[in-house]
Amino acid sequence: MPQIIVENITKSYLVDNAPLDAVRSVSLRIDKGDFISIVGHSGSGKTTLLSMIGGITRPSSGKVLFDGEDIHALASDRVSEYRCEKIGFMFQFASLLPILTVKENLLLPTIFRPRAAGQEVSAKAEELLRMVGLTDKINVYPAQLSGGQQRRVAIARAFMNDPALVLADEPTGDLDEETEGDMMRFFKTMNEAKGITFIMVTHTTDLARQTKRQLRMNQGTLLVV
Amino acid sequence: MAFRNLRRRPLRTGILVAALSLMVAALVFALSFVTRVTSSIKLTSDRLGADLLIVPTGARGGAEDILVENRATSFYMNKSFVDRIKKIKGIDKVSAQTYLVTLTGLCCSVPSSMVVAFNQETDFIVTPWLKEKLGRKLRKGEAIVGSESAYNINLGMVEMEAKLFGSVFSMVGVLDKTGSGLDTAVFISDENIGEIIKNSDANIKPDQISVIFAKLKKGADPYTVMSEIENTIIELDVVMRKDIGKSLITTLGDISKIFYLTMVLSTVLSLFLVWAIFTAIANERAREVGIMRALGAKEKHVVQLFLLEVLVLGAIGSLAGIIAGTTLTLIMAQSFSILKNLPVDLTPFTRTVIALAGLLFGTGICVLGALSPVQRLKKLEPLLVIKQE
Repeated sequence: MPQIIVENITKSYLVDNAPLDAVRSVSLRIDKGDFISIVGHSGSGKTTLLSMIGGITRPSSGKVLFDGEDIHALASDRVSEYRCEKIGFMFQFASLLPILTVKENLLLPTIFRPRAAGQEVSAKAEELLRMVGLTDKINVYPAQLSGGQQRRVAIARAFMNDPALVLADEPTGDLDEETEGDMMRFFKTMNEAKGITFIMVTHTTDLARQTKRQLRMNQGTLLVV
Repeated sequence: MAFRNLRRRPLRTGILVAALSLMVAALVFALSFVTRVTSSIKLTSDRLGADLLIVPTGARGGAEDILVENRATSFYMNKSFVDRIKKIKGIDKVSAQTYLVTLTGLCCSVPSSMVVAFNQETDFIVTPWLKEKLGRKLRKGEAIVGSESAYNINLGMVEMEAKLFGSVFSMVGVLDKTGSGLDTAVFISDENIGEIIKNSDANIKPDQISVIFAKLKKGADPYTVMSEIENTIIELDVVMRKDIGKSLITTLGDISKIFYLTMVLSTVLSLFLVWAIFTAIANERAREVGIMRALGAKEKHVVQLFLLEVLVLGAIGSLAGIIAGTTLTLIMAQSFSILKNLPVDLTPFTRTVIALAGLLFGTGICVLGALSPVQRLKKLEPLLVIKQE
């Protein structure tokens, strides 16, 4: 059975009292360990689709099943648990909390997870920071980092709770070409070594070509490339 | 996180803490004031030992000044009223006292004092305290002083003798604290009055007294007896025990209304301020909350985070207010005439209760003000706030 089944989902907004479909009747099946890229113009519905799969916005109609469970039929706390335990988010903007240090930002998702052992998660945060090349920035605040460094911290944070699915919304947007390559290799390692499923939104066709499956969104509908 | 968030905008946090502390300071002061005055009146009434207090017409306020507020004052009526009162139905015992106000004592540093001359044969007001302390009656030329009297040097010592109204009196001891206004007085037997009139220019005649205390027979209705006295003897005013301090309570009621109005206004203002500031905080941090929610925070985590901030703010503001309010109470106790003369001070227990009330009130207002913005914030859909610029 596929890990994720997206069944005919639509997300509509009211714009100037007229309904506007950001995502229109999209269906999709994703197996565990898949690595999918979604390309498309701005406003084509990529982020909205990703957000519905991640449980941070509800579809107007349709279902998202994760391991057979309709996540939008769950109570608010259970959806939070789903996001905490199953999903690793990478947003398309700097998403670090300015009052927390780099390491504390990494530890943030573990606070919401019951039974997270302090020493274990601390070591894990340090290991992930080493993997994204920010060992020397552990105790600095986000304001002291460049945009690219902040992006790498957010990438590392997405793996803190051992997610089954990583939703990456233009994760390499602020990175230089070399670091972008490093991060793609990091994603592939996590995908292949740990079997983590990836859905990555990107504007870069080169990056999309490196994934196992490429999809395109256009005016809220999904097309297979 | 809560502490760090509060440090983000020190000026805004400072304004909120200052507003809360002002509100709590006003509450602590108002509660201390009202509690002190009412407990002084109640204690005086409880310990009086008489059911009715009978004074010359118009001297009701003067009697309350002496009993409740420690103010030295004098007023007189003819002694013959004692016998007329005794004959009224329902009266069990009566005893008279004469109040004299000294101008100076033996030592120039002793301020004017209240001298209470009482009849040792009929008295039931001072005698129980006297028996306990001295174990015998006062002799002519002897005086015993109240615990708060200027003649009480404390540490178990008392002035050896004092010149009162031209006569020298031996001070034989100090009475225990009664909590009434008579604690500052000097007590002598009424046998001395003749001598005082002879040796001084005290404005009193031999057949004059100041007040008659009356005890009622079991089952007698104080109101009926009071009406009977006032209707029979037009020259007298009667105060029932439960009404002692009534005029002060009326004055206090007006002052309390001002306090309570100030309290209500400052509470509404604080509530509005907390609401406005937390609405601004909620708007500013909506995106951060959206990120936290996306990372797995439940609604309760959002509430906990903000509640902690609110509680820290409320606690700091309230504690500052308690300190300010208590200091204000202590300062005002020295300069506010209504407080300066009260016989009862607040006990540490009462002060603690008032402080706790201030803490709960200040923190409660803070929580109440922040409730609506936090409720709104926790319900926001993460994507909507994350996408906000």
